Amino acid sequence: MQQPLSPPKKQNLYEVWGDTIDGRDLVLSIGIGAVVSLGAYFGAHYLLQPIVESAQMAKTYAMLVGVLGCLGAGVISAKLFPPKRDVQEHAADPAFRAQVVADLLKEYGSLGRLEDLSDEVIAELRELELYDLFREGQAREEQAHLNGGRP
Amino acid sequence: MEMLMHEIMMAFALGLLGAVVFSAIGLVSGTDETATLAPLTMLVVLLGAPPAGVLTFFLAGAVAKHMTHAVPTALLGIPGDTVATALLGDANYLRKLGVPHIALRKMITGGAVAALIAVPLSVLFAVLLAPFGGVIKQFAPWVFLCAALAIAYFSAGRWASVLTLVPFVVVIVALQALTGHYGVKLSVSYFLGIAVAPLIASLFSLLAPSEREHMRRNEYRVFSLAPDVKGWSGYFPNPFKVINRRQVKVTAMAASVSSATFVFSPVAMTVIMGEVIGARIKQAYDRLTTVITARNGVTESTYIAETLIPLMAFGLPLSPVAAGPAAPLFNAPPRFWVDNASGQVNNLHNLLSTWDFLGYGMLAVIVAILVAYPFTMNFAHGAAAFVVRKISHEAVIATFIGLVLVIGIWEGGLLGLLVIVTVGLLGGFLARFLGFNTGVQFMGYYTAVLSVPAIIALAG
Repeated sequence: MQQPLSPPKKQNLYEVWGDTIDGRDLVLSIGIGAVVSLGAYFGAHYLLQPIVESAQMAKTYAMLVGVLGCLGAGVISAKLFPPKRDVQEHAADPAFRAQVVADLLKEYGSLGRLEDLSDEVIAELRELELYDLFREGQAREEQAHLNGGRP
Repeated sequence: MEMLMHEIMMAFALGLLGAVVFSAIGLVSGTDETATLAPLTMLVVLLGAPPAGVLTFFLAGAVAKHMTHAVPTALLGIPGDTVATALLGDANYLRKLGVPHIALRKMITGGAVAALIAVPLSVLFAVLLAPFGGVIKQFAPWVFLCAALAIAYFSAGRWASVLTLVPFVVVIVALQALTGHYGVKLSVSYFLGIAVAPLIASLFSLLAPSEREHMRRNEYRVFSLAPDVKGWSGYFPNPFKVINRRQVKVTAMAASVSSATFVFSPVAMTVIMGEVIGARIKQAYDRLTTVITARNGVTESTYIAETLIPLMAFGLPLSPVAAGPAAPLFNAPPRFWVDNASGQVNNLHNLLSTWDFLGYGMLAVIVAILVAYPFTMNFAHGAAAFVVRKISHEAVIATFIGLVLVIGIWEGGLLGLLVIVTVGLLGGFLARFLGFNTGVQFMGYYTAVLSVPAIIALAG
């Protein structure tokens, strides 16, 4: 298990639109988004207007450049401001997996029976080394049933 | 002959472009379909792409996005886009069981199977519905009104959403009158405003001191990235080894049913189909994997059917997808338009034949699968790690702010921008507090544009 990544003290973290951001970085990236995309749009419009015959098409091409500008703003912001995320890479804990089976039992009401499965699903479960986990879960459920619902 | 070859090559090239661009966009969590598909398709339409190319760009983009959205959903436990939220529960169970790669592979394979089935079925349903097209077009304003009321009732807000339609439509009508006063007519600005509404509402909330305190966090958000497991050799794994026979059958059935029910929202259909299938499978692991396969299949089939059926049969955007992400296929003035008074349309409906829709629809799906399927199978882990470690949320927000500014100013100058912010702020809060969701808001827009003039005419 990796150590959790602690944010530096000076950051002001907020959850906006489903993820964590830093207040100052957000303000700056919104500024970058505005300046770069509008700069690209108006710049392209100014340059294209004399070249492209129809004013309508000049505006459409400028929009294309503006959309590319948005992407550019995203790239610049990504380079300047690192994500405020703590990414941990690890395999699921075996102890944790028994808990998942218990949660599934609670949600579905029953784990069902491994005996009802087709051979290909059994093979898949064995290959993933999950067969015994569900076997034990099913045994526990059946035991609880025999005890009249008491665990 | 040469003309046809040229057209097919253009359609292929644009389909490939759509598939590549939206495969990349799908990897980034929170990239809403409407906010990305609608403006980029609009751009392709206005740059003068041939009708077949417009269709392949949109369809290949949608299909590819709904395959790569499985990457953040399965490996990181964050929804890739709006419909992916419906898959998060099943994906999280499989992730915690230590088999996220199984969730990922089943999802994208289910998507591929469903997409291939959905195109011919949608064409079939459209052909069956086409005889009613004339009547529907004649009564379009009333059909839209009924559809808006039905979609509102089936949203999370129930009666609150039905009643909220009234003030929401009034606001849109008022905004149109305001911009009309200055000779500005807007459409994509409304769609973009509705699509980015949650972002706009969050940014406004952040400025209010009491709301800001609720949003404050002391720690970084923890993401656990599942380790990489590759279970096959070669570049293109056989889909029928990834999902079993029953899963193919169930996914095909779910895709067929969800192709026919094209007036319901894709998220709702994805949830409902999963519940129906899950209730019939007893063993927990079998149930989880089969449901996630079928559910991602439904995200593909609803998008395809909800685009193709209204487009072919009526030429009117009569479904939540057609009214939102696919809107530029129906309405992209000055090139494509729907006339509210006469029910006349000029869009892909009359520019492509039934065989064109079938042929180019299949072409788009196949191109999207050839791009997104092997890419996701082979590089999912690397792609997820790159996105979560290198692309900050600030960068995603900067991109969307740029998009709002460029599209708003391009369509209507300062007025366009004001409309996006107004609709976004209102829509965002209505969705958050009342469950008046995006699908209902799109229908509200169409009610304002198509039904209100008819109601006023009737009232004299």
